[in-house]
Amino acid sequence: MNKQAIWAIARKDMRAIFANLQVWLPMAIVPLLLGVVMPSVIVGIAARVPMDQAGDFQKMAQWVGKIPLPGLAGDAAIEQRVVFLIANYTLAAFFLMIPLMTASVVSADSFAGEKERGTMETLLFAPVDLLSLFTGKVLAAFIPAVGLPLGTFALCGVAVNIAGWNQFGHIFFPQWNWLPLMLLVIPMVSLATIFITVFVSARVATFQAAYQMGGVLVLPVLLIVGGQVSGILMLGTLLTTATGVVLLVVNVLMLRAIMARLDRGRLFEGQIR
Amino acid sequence: MNERFVELQGVNKRFGTHPVLKGFTMTVGRGEIVGLLGPNGSGKTTTIRLINGAIQPDEGAISVAGYDPAHDGEAVRRMSGILTESASFYANMSGLDNLRFFAELYGVTDRRRPDELLEEFGLTTARNQKTGTYSTGMKKRLGLAKALLHKPDLLFLDEPTNGLDPEGIRMVLEYIVQFNRRYGTTMILCSHLLQQLEEVCHRYLFLQEGRVIEAGTLPELQARHCTEVRLEVETDLALGGDRFEGFAARRLSAGKVEFTLPGKAAVPALMRRVTQEANVYGAAMVGHDLESLYFKIRGVAAHE
Repeated sequence: MNKQAIWAIARKDMRAIFANLQVWLPMAIVPLLLGVVMPSVIVGIAARVPMDQAGDFQKMAQWVGKIPLPGLAGDAAIEQRVVFLIANYTLAAFFLMIPLMTASVVSADSFAGEKERGTMETLLFAPVDLLSLFTGKVLAAFIPAVGLPLGTFALCGVAVNIAGWNQFGHIFFPQWNWLPLMLLVIPMVSLATIFITVFVSARVATFQAAYQMGGVLVLPVLLIVGGQVSGILMLGTLLTTATGVVLLVVNVLMLRAIMARLDRGRLFEGQIR
Repeated sequence: MNERFVELQGVNKRFGTHPVLKGFTMTVGRGEIVGLLGPNGSGKTTTIRLINGAIQPDEGAISVAGYDPAHDGEAVRRMSGILTESASFYANMSGLDNLRFFAELYGVTDRRRPDELLEEFGLTTARNQKTGTYSTGMKKRLGLAKALLHKPDLLFLDEPTNGLDPEGIRMVLEYIVQFNRRYGTTMILCSHLLQQLEEVCHRYLFLQEGRVIEAGTLPELQARHCTEVRLEVETDLALGGDRFEGFAARRLSAGKVEFTLPGKAAVPALMRRVTQEANVYGAAMVGHDLESLYFKIRGVAAHE
């Protein structure tokens, strides 16, 4: 592994993202909408709806009252229980979508973009082994894919606590179970999708093809994990951590499988125009 | 020839079903500047890519400084600098940032090296300009600077003067020769501008349809393929017929006569006789240059 080359490639690719306003602006706006505005609006509404008056809310409140909510006192008011449940157990899917959206654009461009710009040949002539080249490309997608949701999550924490402050009067979000989710599960899911998309990008000729094909392959991951991610939070800190570790092992196996199929000659011949 | 530095033995390479190299065999000595000559599609660029280890041969053996590019590609690429027609730079990055990026990939530790090269190739004023705005000539000079970043032992230059103005061509050719003398760098050059190759190359390999059809230094090639010498003399000599001193002679224009001689050795005696009889303002051998040899060799190969 050539660490100097890995960082040079990753920095160069990230610079390309942030040098283009049309690329990074949507990457910043969408997380703000999904991870800050929407959660704080939902929590804000939930924190201000009188549960004893709204018919449908009353039914929901009765159901919420039966759900065990670790981290909240057993005698908490039903309004607090609803806000606590929404904030701590339903927002996870948003934070899974943010890195996947970020990563898909960057990783689809990784190799296909080099081919389209005619720079792939220059890169393949350099004394950089394929694992380092692949790692540099993966890092360029992984760093924003992890950094962006973490930053959004910090802002979300502030916004959600302000939105639900009238119910609690103290910080109630996030609970400890978010820690392994944000630091392990979501980064590992992101990494898996990046691996797949970067590999697809290495195999196809254009960004468009990489984006479309990568999307087709990543969509099942998104549907399976996205649908279950709130449930993972219900499992508690230990099981969430275990899920992250399993995903880590899956990623290691996937990386090995990808590297066995990545070939310099094929990459080179694939970019000859 | 010096110690063998690059060697290809019976190399075959196909792209799909299309054969590009067929039993390709060549040798380049350490410190030599070798010109690869041939029409488009004769396999010049493929040869460079194979030697660099970017693509693998289907059959045959390749050795670069004792390394097999197929298995020790990183070692070969570390010692190689390359400039190809198809390779590009990152258009959204400045010339300096492009060089800094490649300096990191090639493990260049001297941080002043990119600036030094930009200065040597006359790009200092454009160093912070995005390469997307560079002219073809500027990109070519930047490409050469990139190829030389790590002071390579082996340099591949594919059409190094394409797109350059006359001053740029002169500068690049002089730089290539100086670099070879200073560092003993082995160089493989491809160009269609044969007159330029003649100024820098020690030896030539003629390629046709994926094979080396002829190889040698200019005098060796001349000895093999030029059975007669044509000498154009600017003179006011009055010709009595179609021969002069036993050599075929014909008037090309009012002040120019062409003599056909059996070899170079006959030139001094002929010139002495002409100057005894008339004024001589200039003389040049024709049909002996690389371009004439190129067409002769290709013509012979086509008939075989």
